[in-house]
Amino acid sequence: MSKSSFLGADTIALHSGYQPESDHGSRAVPIYQTTSYVFDSVDEASALFNVEQGGHIYSRITNPTVAVLEQRLAALEGGAGAICTASGMSALFVTFFSLCSAGDHIVSAAQIYGSTVTLLKHTLKRFNIDCTFVDINDQDALAGAIQDNTKLVFCESIGNPGLAVSNLPAIADTAHQQGIPVVVDATFATPYLNNPIQHGADVVVHSVTKWIGGHGVAVGGVVIDGGNFDWLKSGRFPTLTQPYEPFHGMNFWEEFGPAALAMRIRCESMRDIGAAMTPHNAFLLLQGLETLNLRMQQHVTNAQAMVAWLQQQDAVAWVNHPDINADAHTKTLFPKGAGSMLTFGVKGGRDAGAAFINALQLSSNLANVGDSRTLVLHPGSTTHSRLSETDLVAAGISADLIRVSVGIETVKDIQADFGLGLRAAAKVATAQLAQTGT
Amino acid sequence: MYITVDNQHTFVATGGKPFNPNLPTVVLLHGSGTDHRGWALQARWFAFHGYSVFAPDMPAHSLSAGEALTSIEAMGAWLVRALDAAKVSNVHLIGHSQGFLVALEAAVLLSKRLLSVTAMATASAIPVNPALIETAQKDPALAAQMMLQWGFGNRHQYGASAVPGMQPIGIGQRIMANNPLAIDLAACNAYTAGSKRAQQLASEGCASCVILAAQDRMTPKKEGFKLAQDLGTHAQVIADTGHMLPMEAPKQSLSIMKTFIQTLEK
Repeated sequence: MSKSSFLGADTIALHSGYQPESDHGSRAVPIYQTTSYVFDSVDEASALFNVEQGGHIYSRITNPTVAVLEQRLAALEGGAGAICTASGMSALFVTFFSLCSAGDHIVSAAQIYGSTVTLLKHTLKRFNIDCTFVDINDQDALAGAIQDNTKLVFCESIGNPGLAVSNLPAIADTAHQQGIPVVVDATFATPYLNNPIQHGADVVVHSVTKWIGGHGVAVGGVVIDGGNFDWLKSGRFPTLTQPYEPFHGMNFWEEFGPAALAMRIRCESMRDIGAAMTPHNAFLLLQGLETLNLRMQQHVTNAQAMVAWLQQQDAVAWVNHPDINADAHTKTLFPKGAGSMLTFGVKGGRDAGAAFINALQLSSNLANVGDSRTLVLHPGSTTHSRLSETDLVAAGISADLIRVSVGIETVKDIQADFGLGLRAAAKVATAQLAQTGT
Repeated sequence: MYITVDNQHTFVATGGKPFNPNLPTVVLLHGSGTDHRGWALQARWFAFHGYSVFAPDMPAHSLSAGEALTSIEAMGAWLVRALDAAKVSNVHLIGHSQGFLVALEAAVLLSKRLLSVTAMATASAIPVNPALIETAQKDPALAAQMMLQWGFGNRHQYGASAVPGMQPIGIGQRIMANNPLAIDLAACNAYTAGSKRAQQLASEGCASCVILAAQDRMTPKKEGFKLAQDLGTHAQVIADTGHMLPMEAPKQSLSIMKTFIQTLEK
């Protein structure tokens, strides 16, 4: 098992990457709200620019507050290093951008976040990077989709919003047999519920905005370099194993080995694209991270209670959560429960679903997940509205699907709120029945 | 760069610049189970400040092919053959932990080609608990974890990193778990000539530098002080760091290394 810290996860979340600084003894991680850093001398400046010395130059590339969050997340996931970015989407972009060039190819799970589909299917296409979407747990389909120019296999550990759990060990086996790394968006799982690197993943991405931040106050992302993939042996990654001219021909694999990808992202993407996390956002996200483990326990407990409650409601047509009739790999990968997202449909279809959402008072109808508060959304008309009918089906999204990010409120209050919604939905369903006369 | 030593493909890091054997050459030698990457920052500084850098991965380590060498004496002799293969004339030898034992053996063979030796977080003898060697034989990843938990100082156990965003423990674990750690540890344990070699160098007037780590639990600094005495020099101790000194305190260790070598060059 790969380890990056000998501290327990609860301790890492609170302490890793920062000890009280010597000048003032600040117990909390200070916010280094600065664009730049004074050099001791011209020689030191030169050394920093030439990667002869670690340290900070400009906050687009590194920042001390952001670095604490990076080191903490790398330790929690068991990675070799991490790069925080402005958002989860920018974390995905810099990962794909660092591994792929024009003419390359990605194999992706079909059941993923709508914006990621758009990135893979349309945006990267403009850079001549193609993507094939597959049922990621169909290993024959996955193996068959890998081409000579394939650079990575991408999946979400829990798909958004279909909630299919990716069988990471099987996916990694299939990909690794052909010298391909596996990139996993683990946003829905969080480091508390599952660590993909321990199950074969090579790169982990999070939208830190979600449960890790947990309070809906800051947007951010992270790429965690697992450090286990042999980029040289694969023979497919010139961006990591060939000289990089802008840094005097630096060869990232030779110089940094297990942290080659993280350093490439740092040296190229953060410099040239500049999707940097702000220090203030890093501070806010660190506050969330400190209590992630405690909050996730409550999230999962509440989600399981809501699943059981919804299954008993007459107005509910169906309920989906990965723990319902969980298959073997879900039980293995998520022994503490497979997250706090659930989906369901109400009798009466899309219109009844809309009535449900509009009637809610405690829960919020918005385009986010992982807030401490309960959130609901109709993906078909929002986050996934740009997908075709075919893509919606492939993503596991039906017209009546309501996505719920179960919060940490007192569960009886969430149930009371959903009761309001279900009564409104039932009225619509009853009216529909009256209209059709059936 | 890759060179051929004993008919084996051998990787030598050069600090990001083409190797020039005509420049004064700084040889950086890694410790047990590790590789050239432990010297990444120091290597780049020397390479871009008038020196050639020669930081090999020992046989069967990381990017180098071949069979792992089973004794420190064999490693020292191999290093001299590697330097010959690269047509290196005069060298400053710098070794971390086991790497300095290798330097001691090579130093005697290099004779007048040797300009100086620098010892970092090491001792003239490095006895290894047999249980650790046995663990390294059976489960290299576990042995690597044991060494990293013991090897890094307090700050790094709490997630500090000289390079923002990185996790040195995680990086070290990946490297050590895939290298012939058990063979290295056994070689260290069997080596007993260090004190004699160090005294020999001192008697020949070899310039030497000893850099120790205040929190070193693998080669405790009291043993480092004895080595300094054998070499006829004084040790400098870097505070708040453990045995993984080159990675834990690259800036401070480089400062001492370059001051020492620059002074000699002048």
